[in-house]
Amino acid sequence: MLKMHNIRKSYRTDTIETHALRDFSLEVNEGEFVSVTGPSGSGKTTFLNIAGLLETPTGGEYLLDGQEVGNLSDRERSRMRNEKIGFIFQGFNLIPDLNLFDNIDVPLRYRGFNGKERRRRIERALEQVGLSARAKHLPAQLSGGQQQRVAIARALAGEPRFLLADEPTGNLDSLMARQVMELLEFINEWGTTIVMVTHDPDLARRAQRNIQIVDGQVSDLRQSIAQQEIATA
Amino acid sequence: MIGYYISLALRSLRGTPILSALMIAAIAVGVGASMTVLTVNYMTSKNPLVDKDDQLYAVQLDGWDPNEAYNRGAKGNQMPWQLTYRDATALLRSDIPKRQVAMHKFGFTVSVDDAEVRPFVAVTRVTTRDFFALFDAPFQYGGTWEKSADESPKQVVVLSQATNEKLFGDKNSVGEVIQLNGEAFTVIGVLKEWNPSPKVYDLNNGHFQDSEELYIPFGLHRKFEIHSWGNNNGWNSDIAKGLTGYEAHLHSESVWIQYWVELENGAQKREYEEFLANHIRQQKEQGRFQRPLKFALSRPSEWLVMNEVLDHDSRVLAWCALAFLLVCVVNAIALLLAKFLRKAPEAGVRRALGASRQSIFVQHLMESSCIGVLGGIAGIGLALLGLTGVRVLAGGGFDRVAHMDWAMVFAAIGLAIVASLLAGLYPAWRISQTNPSIYLKTQ
Amino acid sequence: MFELKPMLSALWRNKVSAMLIALQIALTLAIVSNAVTIIQERQEKIARPTGIDVENLIAVTFMPVPADYDMAGAVAADLDLMRSMPGVVDASVTNQAPISGSGSASGYFFEPNQEVGDITANYYQTDPHFINTLGLKLTAGRNFREDEMDILGPHQNYNADVAIITQQFADQAFPGESALGKYLYGGRDDHPTQIIGIVERHIGAWPGWSLAGNVVFYPVMAEGNHKRYLVRTEPGQRDEIFKQLEDKLAERDPQRVIHLETTENHMKETYSSDNLMIKVLTLVVSLLTFIVALGIVGLTIFWINQRAKQIGIRRALGASRRNISRYFLLENSIIAITGLVLGGTAAMLINGLIASNFSQPLLSLPMLITCALVLLLVSLLAALVPALRAANISPAMATRSV
Repeated sequence: MLKMHNIRKSYRTDTIETHALRDFSLEVNEGEFVSVTGPSGSGKTTFLNIAGLLETPTGGEYLLDGQEVGNLSDRERSRMRNEKIGFIFQGFNLIPDLNLFDNIDVPLRYRGFNGKERRRRIERALEQVGLSARAKHLPAQLSGGQQQRVAIARALAGEPRFLLADEPTGNLDSLMARQVMELLEFINEWGTTIVMVTHDPDLARRAQRNIQIVDGQVSDLRQSIAQQEIATA
Repeated sequence: MIGYYISLALRSLRGTPILSALMIAAIAVGVGASMTVLTVNYMTSKNPLVDKDDQLYAVQLDGWDPNEAYNRGAKGNQMPWQLTYRDATALLRSDIPKRQVAMHKFGFTVSVDDAEVRPFVAVTRVTTRDFFALFDAPFQYGGTWEKSADESPKQVVVLSQATNEKLFGDKNSVGEVIQLNGEAFTVIGVLKEWNPSPKVYDLNNGHFQDSEELYIPFGLHRKFEIHSWGNNNGWNSDIAKGLTGYEAHLHSESVWIQYWVELENGAQKREYEEFLANHIRQQKEQGRFQRPLKFALSRPSEWLVMNEVLDHDSRVLAWCALAFLLVCVVNAIALLLAKFLRKAPEAGVRRALGASRQSIFVQHLMESSCIGVLGGIAGIGLALLGLTGVRVLAGGGFDRVAHMDWAMVFAAIGLAIVASLLAGLYPAWRISQTNPSIYLKTQ
Repeated sequence: MFELKPMLSALWRNKVSAMLIALQIALTLAIVSNAVTIIQERQEKIARPTGIDVENLIAVTFMPVPADYDMAGAVAADLDLMRSMPGVVDASVTNQAPISGSGSASGYFFEPNQEVGDITANYYQTDPHFINTLGLKLTAGRNFREDEMDILGPHQNYNADVAIITQQFADQAFPGESALGKYLYGGRDDHPTQIIGIVERHIGAWPGWSLAGNVVFYPVMAEGNHKRYLVRTEPGQRDEIFKQLEDKLAERDPQRVIHLETTENHMKETYSSDNLMIKVLTLVVSLLTFIVALGIVGLTIFWINQRAKQIGIRRALGASRRNISRYFLLENSIIAITGLVLGGTAAMLINGLIASNFSQPLLSLPMLITCALVLLLVSLLAALVPALRAANISPAMATRSV
């Protein structure tokens, strides 16, 4: 599904060059649920932005769904984001002026579906997250957990094969966090590949595989899990 | 997709009502001001004879004072605007032009036997018979006089539509008799409504005067000792040798006759130019025309420019209005930029959900177009208000100019949209280029 | 004492917005200073003294209906009638109405048979009552006598023996000496016309003419197919007399068409384009200033919202309310002054163009500086409201996360 080889990303200002990712290589298979952990500033977010085609790497190879994405135009990358990738953010990132229905409508509009198809998908997505009754509400009228469920519905409505979640439970209390996590696991069971960035080791452990990023590189997997177990013990 | 962008734009405008109103008002005021001034200028510089612009020519001959050219430093081509009576009658003898008109403005008191109509003063055009055909003045009843009436007195008159309405209640009055300065004249024709604006055939006494109420033949000068009611300029007070009274006036170097010819093609024009040059050479032999040989044939469009129908003030106001619009556009750019940047996080989310830079750009450009359309509509309202103001303030025949036709209405909306698209271009581009990822992270 | 350097770098980060505001102020200064200069010139033009009693004058024109009409007799009878009307100060016959835009002019020479070097003046053919009728002031010499009055048949050539002229024409014709007793000639003509009187001033028939104020008066009544009178009324009586006049004249002799117009109305029509220019430009100046002020308010509010947290931090670190509002006012001044310097240069360039191409007045430096200062004040006032609001941002903003 996702294959990164020797990905580099550096940010340059007038005086300094910062390397966010160095020779970063990773492979995620179709249907996997992978968690990504690492300390602040390790490059987690940069990895997510590159994986989600929001940023382009400085060097290296990135194949998404078997397609090399390095040389794609903005329009092709946007279409790929729209059709294949779903995003879930820590801050939900719902558009505050739009009600739930219209929020979920956003990616479907860019997809070019007709009105009937969009309505069908929006209603089904809302149903999946259990918020059908509140379609006309504005995001501000919902609790944090409900907002995150809307964001998940919005990500699912386009039926992406690949879901990127950035600290999806970071702003939620533990009860709501568990609900959201269950929802993600449910989605994964239906075949969607999920990559989730988190700093919560409990959540990370619930994934099938955990990757740790340290200093812009994937560190040794088992070793890091062992270290964490020691730390949490 | 455009429909979606428009609904987003309207939603966004409603979301910040004060800022939106400010931007719409800025565009509306800019468009309103420029359209008011541009409409007046457009109507002012209209050429009512545009269809015959390549056939009609105003004739000028330079028989002015050998010591100094006509009207030093002022507008025009340093030649008298009009001809002397002598030269006009000499030119009339040519059979080169298809049509030719010698004419000037005059006035009569008009009375009829009907006691209900009080005597009134009617502005009159004293002219040769070709006037109506040459300037496309359409007849409702009857027609023009015979050629002989241009040389020997014949008391016939053509009425304007309004005069016929006033005297005879719009019925066919051909054959009726009216009194002009107490003398009987027979009506031989009635015009349809006809009022070219600007009054290109006589720009001497105001550019937007109404056309005349009566038209009488050119052959009546001696009988009624007719002077011009328009401009009369002379440089030589030497009265023609041995002549006195009105005859002296007709033979003087005073210019007061307006002269137009209709020439069908270039060959005819060249032939006529040769004729004019010969006329001047002949006159030089008689001691007249002591200045260098010079004459001019000006098309209606050139005549309007030479007479500065669109005056300096109008041009200054036009530039002023466009500069005003520019300020409004810069204002709108600043406000749109502020507004769009405030919505940058939303654009970031849309990018993540699959919007390309192009769709973000188009979406925001649509928003500025909506402001443009609304501003344009409000601007037309303001322009109509402004034109009413111009009509009230200016007067003097200017009121006919201060009207908007459909072309100007569309131009106003077009101007508003172009202005706001220009205003929206940079802010929309700027927001479409921002990196979405920085807006997606929580703080 | 101010943090000028960080302020400048903050401005640099918002350079596009700052430049847009500066550009608006620059354009506004360029337009406003030129517009105000034009307005001022037109106001001065309209306010020029006319030398006559504009408010109490009525111009009467009549045209006889019958073909053979005793013009001289009618004029004598009409003048007697009008002069005897209560409320009428005096009445005169004339060839033209003052400030009406319609009249006659001639070139004058100062030697017999001279051919070049004439000076043009507007002329009246009137009668000995004209000084009193127009309300002119005779400053030297004498008025016409009744026995100097000529009556001219149609198309008869006129050689005047005496004339009265305005001081302005006298100064141009005979610079540095008294014109009284000197002679005027027509071109290639040896008939002398003696100047017997000088009036202080009169603007004549065309106030817009470059030589307006050069006026000559002759004691003559030329018969033609129409005739004019000027009637001066007692103050406050004009409108009443205006109503009676047409009826009285028509009653005396119904065989004619009579038209009346007040000189005040003539003046209004003559200056209508100048008045229009003044009104339109005034509107432009005020709308423009208003729009720029709104733009500044809008953008300052936006910046302050954008930097709310930063302001909170400054407050938390000990900045007083005064410091905060002063910061924004100073920032605004920097932008405004940049714009005004740019705009001043543009104003001068534009003025050079319109002065040479469209015959408009020259922009003076004091005027430019005055306009710039007014705009600076406007921009500071516009920034003041949001700046004061910024000062009210709570230091607690610093700890808020959104």
